[in-house]
Amino acid sequence: MIVAILITSSFLRSLSAFFAKPPAQLIQTGLYPYAALPNIRRTFAVEAKKTYSREKPHVNIGTIGHVDHGKTTLTAAITKVLADAGGAHYKKYEEIDNAPEEKARGITINASHVEYTTANRHYAHTDCPGHADYVKNMITGTAQMDGCILVVAATDGQMPQTREHLLLARQIGVEHMVVFINKADAVDDKEMLDLVEIEIRELLTEFGYDGENTPVVIGSALCALEGRDPELGMNAVMKLLEMVDSYVPLPKRELEKPFLLPIEGVFSIPGRGTVVSGTLERGVIKKGDDCEFVGFNRHFKSVVTGVEMFHKSLDRAEAGDNLGALVRGLKREDVRRGMVMCKPGSIMPHQKVQAQVYILSKEEGGRHKPFVTKFMPVMFSLTWDMACSVTLPADKEMVMPGEDTSLSLTLRQPMVLEKGQRFTLRDGNKTIGTGLVTDILTMTDEDLVNWG
Amino acid sequence: MSFTFLFRTFTREAVKSNICLHRVQSLHTGCQLLAADKALLMKLRKSSGYTFINCKKALEKFDNDIAQAESWLHEQAQKEGWSKANKLEGRKAKEGLIGLFVGDKVAAMVEVNCETDFVARNEKFQQLVREVTLATIAHHQSKSQHETGYVKSFLVGDELHGLRVGEGSSLADQVALTIGRLGENMSVKRAVTVKVPAEWHIGSYVHGSVGSQTEVAMGRYGALVVFEGGEEGEQNILGRKLGQHIVGEAPLSLGTVDDLPCGESETRLMPQTFLSDPSKTVAQFLRGKQARVLDFARFQCGEASSEETQ
Repeated sequence: MIVAILITSSFLRSLSAFFAKPPAQLIQTGLYPYAALPNIRRTFAVEAKKTYSREKPHVNIGTIGHVDHGKTTLTAAITKVLADAGGAHYKKYEEIDNAPEEKARGITINASHVEYTTANRHYAHTDCPGHADYVKNMITGTAQMDGCILVVAATDGQMPQTREHLLLARQIGVEHMVVFINKADAVDDKEMLDLVEIEIRELLTEFGYDGENTPVVIGSALCALEGRDPELGMNAVMKLLEMVDSYVPLPKRELEKPFLLPIEGVFSIPGRGTVVSGTLERGVIKKGDDCEFVGFNRHFKSVVTGVEMFHKSLDRAEAGDNLGALVRGLKREDVRRGMVMCKPGSIMPHQKVQAQVYILSKEEGGRHKPFVTKFMPVMFSLTWDMACSVTLPADKEMVMPGEDTSLSLTLRQPMVLEKGQRFTLRDGNKTIGTGLVTDILTMTDEDLVNWG
Repeated sequence: MSFTFLFRTFTREAVKSNICLHRVQSLHTGCQLLAADKALLMKLRKSSGYTFINCKKALEKFDNDIAQAESWLHEQAQKEGWSKANKLEGRKAKEGLIGLFVGDKVAAMVEVNCETDFVARNEKFQQLVREVTLATIAHHQSKSQHETGYVKSFLVGDELHGLRVGEGSSLADQVALTIGRLGENMSVKRAVTVKVPAEWHIGSYVHGSVGSQTEVAMGRYGALVVFEGGEEGEQNILGRKLGQHIVGEAPLSLGTVDDLPCGESETRLMPQTFLSDPSKTVAQFLRGKQARVLDFARFQCGEASSEETQ
């Protein structure tokens, strides 16, 4: 009975979560249904498709390091160790390395995804082979990393390109790093391990990480895989996971942020007033909340007098809910699709932004030609779209398909844009690329003239 | 109760001090040698950049003589580079850089591959690309000294590996050394060199340029254009614009001035729409500048290997 309740509740939760989640996690749920749910799994041995459980907080983690230092072996070892405890589905080295699904899919997210559950958390583990892959994943949002495991072989110590790895981790905003010194079984001298550790701490400090307090775990992924030498093998992997559990903080949840509702539709209901509908992007809306409408050069405040979902009124709507909100004194002509309803003062319209953009290659359905400054695509974000003009950075003359670049974008009219917001650029019937706002810029007179 | 507690604390303290004593003793006996060893090892590793295990071996071999150890490491690096190179041989290397050097009426463009783009950003790899480029141009100059006309030559694989760098060592040795250092498979893929008569010009463009090397431009795409005419003093800009167009639009053949453009998928250079002025074709643009493109070459990093896999 209890189990049954557990299943229904987790199912409902995952259903509502399905709408709330960003595309990345949709992919994960879609592709990797082997959610680790030990207690239920044991009861129902044969199950067609496992439901994704949201009982544990979700964290995205990645591995970086030199090609031969055992990133993939470590990933395999983690799944093996956790599979024994019922928290993962064991993936062999070859499975992770080749990741056939990843290759088969048109959009080449060149990273293999693995998921596992520890006692406290659920992890999605990303392993990206190259610099461009990480940057692409960061921009498209398929795998933001909340933390990172740096793998260094004890036999080699850091490699010259480890500097590039750390530089990248900084760039893509990874603030928490845990170090795993691998292949400790191949080194018989304890002193050497200490030296490798000292060196890596120095390097971390040099790149602005907290080198002194960064957890460093010494072990051997191979031992864990082969099931020998538990001190360096299984226990070290468990210790690493504990460190990751405790050192990498949970990302801030969408519910705690001020609410934002991108407007999808406006309806007037005779006798009641005007209702705006849309999917709540973040935060919580309650009946009686103050709200503000922003976008298309309009700006005004009002009060939410009712919240409805599936024709039923409710007291409180959470991020991810598809809702209609009745707003006091609102006329149908006042608002249109593309505007947002938000907590007063929490968001501002902007006309010019700096963004990091990934331009799709021809194989991914993008353009086959490069573009230069003054190119004018249409920008899509939230529920609005608006023509914009592209300005390349000073050291670039053109952008080739398949590249990532920083761009400044000037919109024809100010629209709701904020740091960290994702958008898509399209030209005619082609998607050109996808991007992430990195900074808000102020309009200059020159920009205004260019749009005149 | 309190009595047992007291007793317990007492025993614990006793055990602790016992352990401490033991520790101090063991430290004392092995201390001298290890400390010197450790500091030296750190120093050697920092100064030479070789792996911990090799630094340790070297120090043990020469009884902590750091100078001898370092020279031994250098010797060893070459040997190890070769064995590593052999070990890594089968691995796919399709990242890398295009190196481009333009001198006085001569130019060289090379492609050097590695496995990940992290390595392509590394200074040591860029140093290798620079050496390959310079060796190619030196080879080309010595070979075509007496020629006065237009010379264009392609080099691939073994011909390139046999080239000499500075004092005696071959390019293949240099590649092996870098492989040993960076631990990734690398290969010198191909090179193209041109030499033009006095009245012709060479334009070049490198896209996505990286690195701090000043004389050799490096990036993921490169193009060389041989042309004549153009206004005096503006040839550099003209050459760059043409190079940029070639990198961007990837023409396969030259075509003629009278060719009619056939849509978006045009692969002949002349009838293509010009990149920096979409209102004209390349032929029209050139007519305006009174210039004529005679030849071009375009390298895209990893393009040939992607064709092979397909």
